[in-house]
Amino acid sequence: MSRRSSRAGNATVRLVGELLATVPQGKRRFSLAVLLASMASGASVALLGLSAWLISRAAEMPPVLFLQAAAVGVRFFGISRGVFRYVERLVGHDVALRMQSSLRIRVYDKLSATTLIGRRRGDLLTRVVADVAAVQDLVVRVVIPALAASLVIVGTTLMLARFNLASSLILLVTAIIAGVMVPLLAQRASRAADLDAVPTRGKLADGVRELSRTTGDLVAYGAQDAVLADLLAVDDALRRQESRAAWVRGIATAGQVVAAGVAVVAALAIGGPAVVAGELHPRLLAVIVLTPLALHEVFAAFTSAAQTWTRSRAALERIIDVLDAEPVGSGDVTSSDNPAPGLEFDGVAVGWPGGVVVQSDLDFHVHPGERVALVGPSGIGKTTVAATAMGLIPPLAGSMRRANRVGYLAQDAHIFTTTVAENVRIGNKDATDEQVVAALVEAGLDLPPERRIGEAGTTLSGGERRRLALARVLADERELLILDEPTEHLDTATARALMHDVWRAAEGRAALVITHDPELIAACDRVVRLS
Amino acid sequence: MAGPIDPRLLKRAGATRTYLVASVVVGLVTSVLLIAQSGLIARGISHVFTERSLPGNWGVLLGGLAAVFASRALLSWLNETIAHRSAASVKSTLRRDILTARLSRPRDSATSSASMVKVVTSGLDDLDGYFSKYLPQLGLAATVPFLVGGAILLTDWQSAIIVAFTLPLIPLFMALIGWTTEAATAKSYAVADRLANHFADLIEGLPTLQAFARARAQRRGVELGEEQYRGATMRVLYVSFLSALALELLASLSVAVVAVTVGFRLVYGDIGFEAALFVLVLAPEAFLPVRQVGVHFHDSADGVAAADAAFRLIDSGSVSTGTAPVPADLRIRFEDVAYTYPGSDSPALEHFDLAIEPGEVLAIRGTSGGGKSTALAMLMGFLHPDGGRVTVDGQDLKDLDERAWRNELAWVGQEPGMLNGTVALNVLLGHPDATPADVEAALHDAGADFDGTKSVGDDGEGLSAGERRRVALARALLRIRLGGARLLVLDEPTAGLDSSTEAAAVDAVRASGVGAVIVTHRPAVMAAADRVVELGVLA
Repeated sequence: MSRRSSRAGNATVRLVGELLATVPQGKRRFSLAVLLASMASGASVALLGLSAWLISRAAEMPPVLFLQAAAVGVRFFGISRGVFRYVERLVGHDVALRMQSSLRIRVYDKLSATTLIGRRRGDLLTRVVADVAAVQDLVVRVVIPALAASLVIVGTTLMLARFNLASSLILLVTAIIAGVMVPLLAQRASRAADLDAVPTRGKLADGVRELSRTTGDLVAYGAQDAVLADLLAVDDALRRQESRAAWVRGIATAGQVVAAGVAVVAALAIGGPAVVAGELHPRLLAVIVLTPLALHEVFAAFTSAAQTWTRSRAALERIIDVLDAEPVGSGDVTSSDNPAPGLEFDGVAVGWPGGVVVQSDLDFHVHPGERVALVGPSGIGKTTVAATAMGLIPPLAGSMRRANRVGYLAQDAHIFTTTVAENVRIGNKDATDEQVVAALVEAGLDLPPERRIGEAGTTLSGGERRRLALARVLADERELLILDEPTEHLDTATARALMHDVWRAAEGRAALVITHDPELIAACDRVVRLS
Repeated sequence: MAGPIDPRLLKRAGATRTYLVASVVVGLVTSVLLIAQSGLIARGISHVFTERSLPGNWGVLLGGLAAVFASRALLSWLNETIAHRSAASVKSTLRRDILTARLSRPRDSATSSASMVKVVTSGLDDLDGYFSKYLPQLGLAATVPFLVGGAILLTDWQSAIIVAFTLPLIPLFMALIGWTTEAATAKSYAVADRLANHFADLIEGLPTLQAFARARAQRRGVELGEEQYRGATMRVLYVSFLSALALELLASLSVAVVAVTVGFRLVYGDIGFEAALFVLVLAPEAFLPVRQVGVHFHDSADGVAAADAAFRLIDSGSVSTGTAPVPADLRIRFEDVAYTYPGSDSPALEHFDLAIEPGEVLAIRGTSGGGKSTALAMLMGFLHPDGGRVTVDGQDLKDLDERAWRNELAWVGQEPGMLNGTVALNVLLGHPDATPADVEAALHDAGADFDGTKSVGDDGEGLSAGERRRVALARALLRIRLGGARLLVLDEPTAGLDSSTEAAAVDAVRASGVGAVIVTHRPAVMAAADRVVELGVLA
């Protein structure tokens, strides 16, 4: 398990390295961010250390002139911490955003080149968007703070070693314990607890979703109390699992305070006798005792970095899986080099490349002007047939010929957050304004083309969405229409009105209709049953 | 902007109150420990520095310092544990309340199941950060600066003045910066947000783009969108990091000023070395909680937003108060009933009258959107009329015991909900004590050509719309046969179905002497009814 996780960790690190390489002057920007971050943290350590020296020196009552340089230094560190931090955050976020863009484009390239229609990928597409953002967290909250904190700890140790070697070594050891070992152990322990909680969270989400979708039935049949009790039991289990993770995190925080305490007490215990023995200048005692106190704040960066690392690594591993997956099909609809009018399936076997044959020996033709219904129980491979007919995946056997101008109307056609006209132009990017209006009219949708969808309350009803998708299909010449459950989830009246317009538009074209709506099946010329 | 603590959290979630008290106690003890820590450090260093010898109680001093650090460690662990417990308890309370509220509104379609899931799971998780990071620091910020500042005041009043002067400047400057940049931030944030959604939109629409061979061509659009997104986001960040800059600048600059002032006063013998060290060690601690509050401010905003989303769902719930028993005669009357959905301009029902006699099979037909489903929802007690009333044997429906009333009804909704599991599990909802044979008989009579062992996925996956309908019908039959329900309530299915099985099922119901109210437009079903009423377009 740990071998696997370290390998996955390497893959994440490699991905981050590759992304950094794509950013113009990425290494320089990144190093600058780390340098600025370490200067910001270093400034707060130096502020207390130098202040301690200033006060100790002042206590010897030298001429004021001798204090001027230190006083300027103290003021400088006082001001510079905030300024360094501000600039560092800007530089760091800029690099991280550039890396995120680069990753987004990679993911887009990958996904656009693999056929997505008809694959049961669940929430893959929505999840991918959130997962990509993890690279930003990883850079800004993990890599830069961790590298910067390491630099500061090493730098401080080296500085103090010049005054007193023993206490500086103890400081280094406590820093490694507080900064590396405690967060690492805590991360491992809480990761185990967090992993246990993942299925419970899934169960809770599924239960809430089900409750929300079936409220009417549950209440009508008086089952609400039982379902609520079940969900609260899941909640209780989740609560206990989360408590364990929180307990570990609490121990980690306490461990860091203990480590800081050890460093401070040790510095005093070693420094005091060293001053008495004349091995340490009295002036430096305050410096070696107070500096670890300021360094304590730097440790804290590691705990949150370790937690973010767990989370963002899991997200990036999922992205790496997406990037490494073999592409399936062609992505975009392709044109056929051997076109036929309509659609001809002769002894065709369909299935996803590299997968099992879903349907074999399919023999049917759809001639121009004909409507053919493709029916069969759900999960039998109707959409796989559609994907094959569109040329998104090759047939596994037999010969398939089709017209090149295919229009696909799906029940879940995506409506983009842009203008109505731009949504129509997805179907034909060169469509003129007149063509867009004509397509909208033909699809029976009375919306101004320049209206933006999805903003300020411009939402479309289910029927309107389906009609906008239809307008997209009608925006260009089509010889073959593939209608995938066009009436699903619409009420009867809306479905009838929609199909009235669809049939009118389909006149003279070949139409393959995937459906289990009896009314729609009755409207077709022929039925192909899959079993 | 909302305050740091949602008053509803205090009122509804008792654990919040307990936690606030606890966090103040933790803050007080922390202050005492910090003062002791600074005192011991200053004592030890100054004695060695001035006397060049170890003090007589050196071991006690080191042991005391170690004990202080150990106590601080214990306290921070305790604080984190209490914070987590409070968060967990508040989350559980809110979860229960949200789900209860949802169950009290069966007809609510305004809240999608996706947003319900989001609020109940990851949304409420935002309260973790609020409780474990923000509130503890708020507790410390409310106590530590005062006690620590007091200790500095007692030691050296000049330094206390510097701290007392700069400390209030931090929240003041942050508020000022936030206030002056609010409009600009909101505007560029909106732009950045829109551009961020652009990528999500394209990714979600990829299957559609592929169907029109446009996916690869859109890559240029992605690149352009990314350029603009980065620009817009950076413009937001330039401004939003400013408040953090002010915070760090004020906090560390005032520590520097304290150090330098104390240093020069030492030269003139104005202050002792031990006092100077004490002040120097303590001064940053006065600022730390305030700085941390600033750092974790977004946790507060997230937490308050999460609580707000939760309370919006909770507050929209309703509680039924009816207690009267259901009359023996199910003589139902809609009397001048009106209903308007929240947020809608026109009423779904107005001046609606309807009589349903016991044992009668009544079909309701009418145009889409004519209020048929609304009337059925009222009959189920899912909705209550805005005007007029629904009565059962002369008694107002809303005075009846809601659950007892629903026991009399067997409901089949427009889009029947399916539980994940098996068909039998879904049918058993009608009467949990039914035997497998009862289930199979009900399925058979509902026209299903599959048995109870067939598995059902999320949202009825694995069943077609027609099959779901039959499962729901079997569920209703079970409730009539075994649960003693006296009225079948059948809403029109959304997807087309063959109507013969439905008409047969209605006949089966009629044979048992039970009445039915059916919304339909199918001639076969209407023919099976005793009476057909038309619910016309409202004038």
